[in-house]
Amino acid sequence: MSEPTWLSKSPRPRISLTTTLGHKNLEDRHKPLRLDGSAKETLEQGRNRLVMAGVIFAFCFVILAGRLVGLAISGIGEDEATTADSDITLPVATEENKRAEIRDRNGVLLATTLTTASLFAEPKKVIDPKDLAAKLTTVLDDLSEATILSRLASARNFVWLKRNLTPSQQYQVNALGIPGLHFRSEEKRFYPMGALVSHVMGFTDVDNHGIAGVEKYFDAQLDGSEDNPSQDLTLSIDVRIQHALRDELSRHMSVFQAIGAAGMVMDVKTGEILGMVSLPDFDPNRPSDFSGDAKFNRITLGVYEMGSTFKTFTTAMALDSGTVGLKGGYDATEPIRKAGFRIRDDHPKKRWLSVPEIYMYSSNIGAAKMADEVGPKNHKAFLAKLGLLDKPSLEIPEIGAPILPPRWNSLETMTISFGHGLSVSPLQLSTGITAIVNGGAYINPTVVRRDDMKATPVRQVIREDTSGIMRRLMRLVVEKGTGGKAAANGYLVGGKTGTAEKAVGGRYKRDALISSFVSAFPMNDPRYVVFAMLDEPKGNAQTHGFRSAGWTAAPIIGRLISRIGPILSISPVNEESEAVQRAMFIPINSREKKLASF
Amino acid sequence: MKLNLTVLTLVLFAAVSYGLYQLSYEVQELEKDLKSLNVNIAENKESIRILKAEWTYQNRPDVLQALASKYLPLLLIAPYQVASVGEVPYPPVDPEQYSVPVPRYNPHRDYSPVDRAPTGPVQLATFTRTGSLQ
Repeated sequence: MSEPTWLSKSPRPRISLTTTLGHKNLEDRHKPLRLDGSAKETLEQGRNRLVMAGVIFAFCFVILAGRLVGLAISGIGEDEATTADSDITLPVATEENKRAEIRDRNGVLLATTLTTASLFAEPKKVIDPKDLAAKLTTVLDDLSEATILSRLASARNFVWLKRNLTPSQQYQVNALGIPGLHFRSEEKRFYPMGALVSHVMGFTDVDNHGIAGVEKYFDAQLDGSEDNPSQDLTLSIDVRIQHALRDELSRHMSVFQAIGAAGMVMDVKTGEILGMVSLPDFDPNRPSDFSGDAKFNRITLGVYEMGSTFKTFTTAMALDSGTVGLKGGYDATEPIRKAGFRIRDDHPKKRWLSVPEIYMYSSNIGAAKMADEVGPKNHKAFLAKLGLLDKPSLEIPEIGAPILPPRWNSLETMTISFGHGLSVSPLQLSTGITAIVNGGAYINPTVVRRDDMKATPVRQVIREDTSGIMRRLMRLVVEKGTGGKAAANGYLVGGKTGTAEKAVGGRYKRDALISSFVSAFPMNDPRYVVFAMLDEPKGNAQTHGFRSAGWTAAPIIGRLISRIGPILSISPVNEESEAVQRAMFIPINSREKKLASF
Repeated sequence: MKLNLTVLTLVLFAAVSYGLYQLSYEVQELEKDLKSLNVNIAENKESIRILKAEWTYQNRPDVLQALASKYLPLLLIAPYQVASVGEVPYPPVDPEQYSVPVPRYNPHRDYSPVDRAPTGPVQLATFTRTGSLQ
């Protein structure tokens, strides 16, 4: 052993350069190495770098471990987001971003939005187009093989084969198992009732935005927005009434070969419209397949010279203003000649007629004289009160404004008194009749259900006792006058016929008629106003060639009321019973000489 | 002593992390269930919508009318067929039958319940087709 150096006392092992240089003995190797100067610095640097690297690695591992723990506890990041979301929103799919449903007054579904599957193909991925076409036509029978093949032949990557499949069709297509066919889900507005409620409902475009009918009027409510969610809509329409109305109208339309028909049923007390049909109509499920004529709403948008039904207003006005009483009357022997026009009667009696006779026999001469006595100014004011001179208000956009005569003098008053020279929509006419029979209160019509069952009358049009007389006069028309075919046994129907020649190109066409009938029932306490109209009906053998309203439009009313009376829970009365007869009695005060033939 | 504390800390740490992980997995499982349930509910709601539309479609008034006219011997209700409850007559009472009180149920006696159906067709006290009272 060599003598100990001062280095051997050091606690740190040292490298002794002397030992490495001179290998004197083995023990010398284990002696601490002694470093000095630059060698020591190098070693220190290496040590520091190692520590730094270690720290960085440790840091990374800590981050990794932390993330790992975090993931293990909270799951995958995306999951977290959805669960956090569902905490705030309502429990489960209650909020569906779908256009709201439309129902009828009894809750029958009229329009709903369904998620449907649309079938498309990727032509490049189709292995055997012919086989595909053959198989697909077995499932989708409205597609032909040729059209499928021509579509698959296109160079595009994406071709629609059929939009909006039914769930069973989708299932069947899936069952075929053809590669290259795919589905995309779409929203589709669906109208289960088809054409039945078409004109009231309207329809939507491909983006499910309403473009006609209540679909358009209530578009914002049905669609909803961020602040107010979409709300279901309940209409005043009753599909049972609507069906009966459409059924009778279409039957009579074909019997009399009319080019169109229209009808409506309206509640007298609330103004609710229970049925509104305009024929020809369309299927709102596929509106593009129908012509503009089919989409034309004859009830609200069409304005017509309504003919003798206007005599109801003329008579009510004369009786209410007191210019003539029930016992009074006018001479209807000779036609009136005025300013080159000749006003004559369709059913001439050629004698003095009392007011009830003028109304029941539908005398134009009598009505003209009656209105002339009231005067043009009062006449105009009265019709304005009945809402016949302004555009009516209803919850559909297709509303026609009436066509007023350019001047309103004595001649115009005379012609308007029997419904010529002023064009109004059937909606306006029915609403006016509602006011006449319900005690004289004008009520705004509506297609939305009124839950409070009481509408606020807008204004009083005629006195209540005048309304009572008008009811009995309307009953008289059906009982003894021109509207006999409108009788529905037990339901005390009353009404007025109206036959008008259509004005085409500024002159009246003799062979084109608008025959209409406006009625109310039961006449002892009117509940509903029923209107029916045929556009250009032709007479047949059963009507002895007649085309007038009493032969063509009145039977619709008769059949319809006996159909809808029980649905509307109107209890039938015995029309022959003394109490009913007394309630409906009205003195005719005829001056006809009964024994004139002797 | 120092060793014990370390071991105890480690064991505690292991136990707590095991519990934490277990809880976390449980929550994840439940959330997955919730999600699939939500999807199920949405699907079912859609099915209900479709079925309701289908039901309404199958019950269109014109279809029902066609079926009724094919299978049911029903005609339009005539006024004489409608009556209020007050107008319906009581069933005729046989005085002989009801003059002696008969126990309704007595196991010791041979007793068969009386046929209570009214004899003859039910008559409604309303007017007839022609309008005269019955």
